[in-house]
Amino acid sequence: MLRGPEARLRLVTALLIAALLPVIGQLVRLQILDRDRYQAEVEELVMRPYALPVPPAGTIRDRNGDLLVGNIPIYSVGAQIELITDTQIAAAALAPLLGLDEATLLEKFVIQEDEKDLEWVWRHLANGVRGENAEAVKELKRTTWDWLTLVATWQRFYPESELASHTLGFVNADGDGYGIEAAQFHLLQPRPAAAMGEVDVLRVPLSEELAKGDLRAFAGTDIKLTIDRTIQAFVEGELDKALRLYGASGGTILVMNPQTGEILASASYPDYNPSLYNIYDTSEQYRFVDPAVSVVYEPGSVFKMFTVAIALNSGSVTQDWSYYDSGLIEYGGVLVRNSDGGAHGQQNLQGVIDHSLNVGAATLTTQHIGADVFADYLLRFGFGRTTNVGLFGEAAGLVHLPWDLNWSDGYLPTNAFGQGIAVTPIQLVTAASMLANHGMMMKPRLITERRTPEGQVVTIPPKEEGQLVSVETADYVVGLMEHAVETSIVKAQVPGYRIAGKTGTAQIPVSGGYDPVEVITSFIGFGPLPDPQLLILVKLDRPQVDLNVRWGTQTAAPVFNQVASRLFVLLGIPPTEPIDP
Amino acid sequence: MSVAWQQSTHGVLRRQEKVNRTLLMTFAAITVMAVGLGVLYLGLVASSAHLSSDIWHMHSEMAEIQRESSRLETEIARLSSIPVLQVRSVALGYQAAESIEYVDIEVRAP
Repeated sequence: MLRGPEARLRLVTALLIAALLPVIGQLVRLQILDRDRYQAEVEELVMRPYALPVPPAGTIRDRNGDLLVGNIPIYSVGAQIELITDTQIAAAALAPLLGLDEATLLEKFVIQEDEKDLEWVWRHLANGVRGENAEAVKELKRTTWDWLTLVATWQRFYPESELASHTLGFVNADGDGYGIEAAQFHLLQPRPAAAMGEVDVLRVPLSEELAKGDLRAFAGTDIKLTIDRTIQAFVEGELDKALRLYGASGGTILVMNPQTGEILASASYPDYNPSLYNIYDTSEQYRFVDPAVSVVYEPGSVFKMFTVAIALNSGSVTQDWSYYDSGLIEYGGVLVRNSDGGAHGQQNLQGVIDHSLNVGAATLTTQHIGADVFADYLLRFGFGRTTNVGLFGEAAGLVHLPWDLNWSDGYLPTNAFGQGIAVTPIQLVTAASMLANHGMMMKPRLITERRTPEGQVVTIPPKEEGQLVSVETADYVVGLMEHAVETSIVKAQVPGYRIAGKTGTAQIPVSGGYDPVEVITSFIGFGPLPDPQLLILVKLDRPQVDLNVRWGTQTAAPVFNQVASRLFVLLGIPPTEPIDP
Repeated sequence: MSVAWQQSTHGVLRRQEKVNRTLLMTFAAITVMAVGLGVLYLGLVASSAHLSSDIWHMHSEMAEIQRESSRLETEIARLSSIPVLQVRSVALGYQAAESIEYVDIEVRAP
């Protein structure tokens, strides 16, 4: 027996301390000795990756702000099936909304044998639910069946269907594709926000995680193009009509403002619907190549405008130059004849352009300009290199240079009239715009503005690439081309407007030579002079019309007339000349 | 009873008792403060958790609004797209102008 209160007090104190010791011991074990183990267990239990909702990719608009590529939300729908009580009713209601048949849905609602022990069973029901159907499913979840789960994501949407499909292009999740979508993928794609942290059972991050506050998701950068959707739609319609009228297998119409380098429309056929690109057969990969920037061709006689400009600007000839056209010239083992096979006697520069004389052009390059100067100018004009217009897969073309190992003297006379040289339509309109713009080359542009998700607007101004030929030379060549339209290419004339232009009828190279029948007809024209605001290239591949009219003058020039006549009105460019009633 | 107990109960160690009361008061004050701080901390944690939850829901709501906004924007774009407008304008009896004539207006100074 303990004696006295003091002793009992000591005993109680000792017992309390003894009782406390295991607690302290456990604390030491948990917090110090086994700390790492328990830390790892906790992390395994609550540390999970979590993410903010994915923001949309950047939009693409035309020059007036009309949407060309947007984003629509689509949903992946699932169900926590152990909570479903009315499977028949649910299947009947959900089947049409999810695009499934009722029986399939009922099968998905059945809990399998190996799932019976599970506390909860989640089943994926459908992907890609969108629009009104998605809204209906959301409403059902909100009001009736909270066992439904919806996970939102985004899908690209093209409200104008096939419009400007080649320019817009498409990409897969890795950014592989073409067009603006691929070229600007790094800007258009959103920046999602995801992290590893402590989450609750619903994967909602715990307060400590959110309190860090450094998780932000950004939408993609919006892009405004130089394309005008009204012009684009009209041009595509005209191309379609021309292809049917002339039975051409393909074609391109490019519209550019030569003063700014802005591309107002770029239409090519064959085209496709970017929303449905996955339905096209893999053998149809040619559909996913933009003929305006990625397909090269021999331009033919439209190239003579450059030959004449080079001859004048290099000082090789003067404006009063003339030669005797015998209908034939031989150089470097190549025999060049005029396209009509005839001899035209004494001719000057105007005659070379008016009658599209191959012999005259070849005489200029072989007798006056010379290979080195000619090649130097071609490179300066942008042939043989990409224009960096901002599209994926742009081709550089093919220019034979005198210092290349495979150079042959025969290239010099043929290149003079656009044979033996391969260019893209975008290269051609860029170089022709230089002449239309008084010798000042403008960089071709497809993008006019970028808007960052933070709201910062970056305007991309026109860019001068340099005065490549003198104003005098450019204006003189334009004058020659205007005369050609007035006298020889009457089908390209637009009443009330001064137009300059040049036709081309190019043979198509095949193995061992040129196709004896098939041609590519084209016309490049611009107006209204003296300060053209519109430059249009019309190119028709393999027109199936009578051989007598299988010329650029007969096929491409009338299409130019149709396009230019309407575009002057659409752009509010009034006539500069009196119109005969 | 022990001597110490008797001394304590009979006032022999009164001065020491005063010291104990001061300690007691100090202990009580510290306890109250600790409890107060604890309550304050718990309140802050609860408030922070509540706010975090609100923020998370706002993120979700913002995403939902963004989805709805995009859906409506694309729907408007579809309805005002050129193919749809063409069909609509033809249904309303509009036709493309065949020939456009300009009227030259002479503006005279007043």
